[in-house]
Amino acid sequence: MSEHTPHLPNALVAIDLGSVTTRAHFFDAVEGRYRFIAAGEAPTTAGAPTLDANHGILQALAELQTITGRQLLNERGLLLANNTESNLGAHALTATFSAGPPLRVITVGLLDGVSLHSVNNLVDSFRCEIVDSLSLGDRRSPERVIDAISQNLPDLIVVAGGTNRGASLSVVRLANYLALALKLLPENSRPPVLFVGNENVQSEIEGLLSPLTDLYKTTNIRPSLDHENLGPAEAALGMLLFEIQARKLKGLDQLSRLAETRLMHSAQAFGRTVRFLSTVIDAPKGILGIDLGASSTTVASAFGGELEVRSYPTLGMGSSLGGMLAETQLQQITRWLVDDLPDDFVLDYLYNKTLLPGTLPSTTQELGIEMAAARQVVRLAVGKSLPMFPANAIYPLTGTVPWFDRILVAGSTLARHPRPEHSLLAVLDAVQPVGIVTIILDQNHLASTLGAAAAVDPLLAVQVLESNAFMNLGTVIVPVGSARPGSTVLRVQLEREGHKEDVVEIVEGDITVLSLPPGKVADLFVQPLQNMNIGLGPGRGGWIRRVVGGAFGLIFDTRGRPIQMPTSFNKRQELLQTWERRLRGGS
Amino acid sequence: MLAPITYIQPLTTLRRTRYLPVEGAITVGLGDRLRASDVIAHTGVHKQHMMLDAARALGVPANRVDKFIQREVGETVEEGAIIAGSRGLASRQLRAPVAGRIAAISEGQILLQASDESLHVYARVPGLVIDIDPGHSVTLECICAWIQCLWGNGLSGEGNLHMVADGPQHQLTADQIDMSLRGAILIAGHCSQRQALELAGQVPIRGLILGSLATRLIPVAEKMEYPIAVIEGFGQIPINADAYTLLNMHKGETAALNAEANAPYAGLRPELVIPLSEAGRPPQPVEMQSFRIGQTVRVLSGRYKGQLGEIIELRDNVIYESQLRGPAAELTLLGGGRARVPLVNMELLG
Repeated sequence: MSEHTPHLPNALVAIDLGSVTTRAHFFDAVEGRYRFIAAGEAPTTAGAPTLDANHGILQALAELQTITGRQLLNERGLLLANNTESNLGAHALTATFSAGPPLRVITVGLLDGVSLHSVNNLVDSFRCEIVDSLSLGDRRSPERVIDAISQNLPDLIVVAGGTNRGASLSVVRLANYLALALKLLPENSRPPVLFVGNENVQSEIEGLLSPLTDLYKTTNIRPSLDHENLGPAEAALGMLLFEIQARKLKGLDQLSRLAETRLMHSAQAFGRTVRFLSTVIDAPKGILGIDLGASSTTVASAFGGELEVRSYPTLGMGSSLGGMLAETQLQQITRWLVDDLPDDFVLDYLYNKTLLPGTLPSTTQELGIEMAAARQVVRLAVGKSLPMFPANAIYPLTGTVPWFDRILVAGSTLARHPRPEHSLLAVLDAVQPVGIVTIILDQNHLASTLGAAAAVDPLLAVQVLESNAFMNLGTVIVPVGSARPGSTVLRVQLEREGHKEDVVEIVEGDITVLSLPPGKVADLFVQPLQNMNIGLGPGRGGWIRRVVGGAFGLIFDTRGRPIQMPTSFNKRQELLQTWERRLRGGS
Repeated sequence: MLAPITYIQPLTTLRRTRYLPVEGAITVGLGDRLRASDVIAHTGVHKQHMMLDAARALGVPANRVDKFIQREVGETVEEGAIIAGSRGLASRQLRAPVAGRIAAISEGQILLQASDESLHVYARVPGLVIDIDPGHSVTLECICAWIQCLWGNGLSGEGNLHMVADGPQHQLTADQIDMSLRGAILIAGHCSQRQALELAGQVPIRGLILGSLATRLIPVAEKMEYPIAVIEGFGQIPINADAYTLLNMHKGETAALNAEANAPYAGLRPELVIPLSEAGRPPQPVEMQSFRIGQTVRVLSGRYKGQLGEIIELRDNVIYESQLRGPAAELTLLGGGRARVPLVNMELLG
């Protein structure tokens, strides 16, 4: 990796304005390489009673200043130094944000499975709530559609439709419905419209909608039936959503001015880091990223630089826990609890958390409930994201996620757990990965920040990702197939530094750990038995070169997919305790 | 650390700005004294429209139909009135199927507003109108006793406060509800009985303020047609001593229960407002404070949930029982005993 370029800023401050916590991260060049130095944090103050994000930002910066001993604030706020050699202030600022209510968006497309699908994908990659969708296949009468558009009072309408050589009349007809709906709203209260459809009808759309509201146009997201091009529209939509959110959230505009062009939506920034990872490390099978936030969960996947992002504003660990609870049977949460807790106790805790998202679990029982809920939130988010994973990825088993090389997990619930083996187990239970995958924990809440910081210097993201700022939990090997519990399904042998170790038999229905510390690599021979598939095909094995170690070494997860939990509490408890013990290295 | 605050104030000057969801017509004036149920504005957003296709009705192309449309946007029409028509021997006409107002015309499509029902904005708290931003908002001021709640079912109402609770631990049951409570806002402790909520709706009462609500009754409470607000949260939690004392002090008085849903970014929380006359001009509530020794706080989560305490010590980097780390406070609980509570799990009582 090349050395740090001297003319670029050394000291970078990155603000992350989350819905619960505001963080200020400090990066500096140490011996020619960027390092994550420290973070300060404070409760986000964008909501009541202060209704001004600046207070929380300044508090986080003040804490960072105390920790680093470097003057970062002056009487006007953040001290930005022009001179990159200066030891005062920051040389550059980047920012990410997920605070604020999810914006209400109406999407319009011609065909459900084509342009409407694409425009929904586009909007779903941001933290937005699609409050209604309109297409030619809509069975409502035109007046009901028009009433729905005007009464939903959306923040934004995004219109797709038509390939560049395709339908034009139908697009114009839908736009006419929009025009009628917009006319029903007072002039100063009409939502802006972003048009991302057939570029050949842009002038007609402009003639219809420009007199009524602010119209923005960008390239067609579906230039042909078999080609989706979301890139330019993502940039335009991101900018527009920021402008709308900045009018609702005091302090966001000021942060944007400080960060110049380097303020990003957290979901997009997280996605950028995932994409970045997929290009800088050897990961032919792709990277999966999961950011479990308080107000939303983001799932991102990148295969060779091709990124897909979905943000779920109804799935989170704080105010949006209610979204998970609405589509979950309680048993899907309690099956992961080691403690035998009354259902009402669990529900009370989770519903109170929706009202008080900033509270922390103060007892082990509450921590257990949060980890159980986290599993279900992630499971739902990943389940909803299955259609976004490429069909040509490797699927050792249908209905699961594809085989990924790395899974990057972020979010306070998982990152702050005092015993990371619990976080690892929660990820394995929730995602239920297959193949051979390394799990990385974003213990310092840096993943989104690095996505934005890469705009200042891509090297920063590379060098921090390579440092120990992220915790490599371990590499997991998951055979799938059918075997009797307790029967041998794999024979494995490690070879490190030229020394072959004893053959180990791995049995079905358990978790087995072989020690391989962080930073160490080894070659692993795997011989699947009973036609088991570790991702190389049924019964196929061989030497897997340069397997990466981690905090919990090599983990063989033979619990089957999907994991079946016993109905009896005592048996469940015994299993959960056994798995935790195994990860700690116990037998 | 900046402290979250829940206000339980015996006497304060409360200001509330009601924003219109879209631009509309303000129907009150500066200096008007309003009740919570008064409409302060109505918007032009109407509920039901009919779409009439003039081009199809007249059999002319959409781009030529404009000249046949005989009405303009905003005109009212009677049922059967001609809206558009062509001339000539084979003339065709488009008539209004119902009485209404022409709401919009675009490309030969005519939207007829068939109902006068439009979106109204209510005061939701009583008070004096002290500021108006024409078309956008109205600010009210009220000298009052004020209790903020944690959850509300979205509705609002006015009535006399009736104390059903015989103590902070009270349980609301159906046998405590009868016709004598008609029109009242009930103050009760915990409710875990569905029949009690339903019976209160049949009386009907004007509102219910609870210490806590059983989680499984949330969907029931959301369906009730009277406002319900919860002070402490879900599960069995007694009303905190400050709120209970204040409510007890004002039983029998008129109050407004604004049980609107939490919208933290808009500064909205459910609240009970008890207007007080002859009370001078007390200060407005303080908006921002940090935790300090000597403050009274309410515990929001954990084994001491709902209890009040006084901060006697603040500590950094404490390991909680859950093994998580963070700043914490040592409290002397007002009910007796001591507790160590994470700072993020408590709030100031303003």
